[in-house]
Amino acid sequence: MSLLDKIFGRKKKSAEAAKDRLKIMLAHERVNNLPYIEDLKKDIIEVVKKYAEVNDIKIKSEKNQNIDFLEVEILLNPRS
Amino acid sequence: MGKIVTVTSGKGGVGKSTTAANVGIGLAQAGKRVVAVDFDIGLRNLDMILGLENRIVYDSIDVMEGRCNLSQALINDKRAKNLYFLPASQTKDKTALKKEKVRELLETLKKDFDYVIIDSPAGIESGFENSIFLADQALIVATPDVSSVRDADRVIGIIDAKSEKAKDGKEVEKYIVINRLKPEMVESGEMMGIEDILNILALPLIGVIPEDQKILTATNLGEPIVLDKNSLAGEAFRRLTKRLLGEKVEFLELKSHKGFMKFLKGLFS
Repeated sequence: MSLLDKIFGRKKKSAEAAKDRLKIMLAHERVNNLPYIEDLKKDIIEVVKKYAEVNDIKIKSEKNQNIDFLEVEILLNPRS
Repeated sequence: MGKIVTVTSGKGGVGKSTTAANVGIGLAQAGKRVVAVDFDIGLRNLDMILGLENRIVYDSIDVMEGRCNLSQALINDKRAKNLYFLPASQTKDKTALKKEKVRELLETLKKDFDYVIIDSPAGIESGFENSIFLADQALIVATPDVSSVRDADRVIGIIDAKSEKAKDGKEVEKYIVINRLKPEMVESGEMMGIEDILNILALPLIGVIPEDQKILTATNLGEPIVLDKNSLAGEAFRRLTKRLLGEKVEFLELKSHKGFMKFLKGLFS
């Protein structure tokens, strides 16, 4: 934003808003569109099952220009 | 062997057929043998944009189902002698295309032509898959608005999943075409600019087409804008074509003419 805009407290330009909204939206959509996530889940469950009982598995992934990562949360059955 | 170039977008109405028509003519004028194929079965439009709608006798479905020879269905453009056009069927729907028949047709065309330009349908269903699975290059057309960029991103994400080239470990070359850019709106911060869009889509740019009223006139007349030597959008398409041929060409400098008030305001911002 320009100095004048700041002094007069004008709203940010709509192109800026478009860019920001798109970035947030696409960060979500790209995650949900990973083609291999269901297969990955099944494989991880198979591996962990060798050692412990699995209650649930959650995979979150984040993606932006510089970094991609997967966050895997495995809930074990407490009695096992 | 020729190259298959698929023009696609995800969202409809962003200028796929216009881009396919102009790139087709541009390549033909550069001396390449080109065939433009409309894959938008049931909702064809490339015929009217090219101004060849009155010369259609057979369409691609007729060829694929053996009702005529390929040469009977191909229409030669009189303005660009190297350009041929293969129309889509208007009476059938998208499900009429069978993947193996499409493969047969495209492999035949690749032998006869330097470039096979495919005008893909909007959306990401079977029609899209048929138009992308054999592509060597993909031109993704987007206008500077949120829905178009969002849908372009979605399409980019699935091109490799549908492509046979990608299955063989090779990559489909993907390029962005930004269409209908209004420089004065970008300058005033009311439209996403080239950098903004490329930053989001993270692919190389091959063309920027400015908003130009002459494009509507061109479509009305069935005379693609690239044939108009004096139009800015036509020049943008000529440069896009050269880049597709591997030449290094500068992008058009797209700027609005600043008024005095704007100049004054510019001093303070």
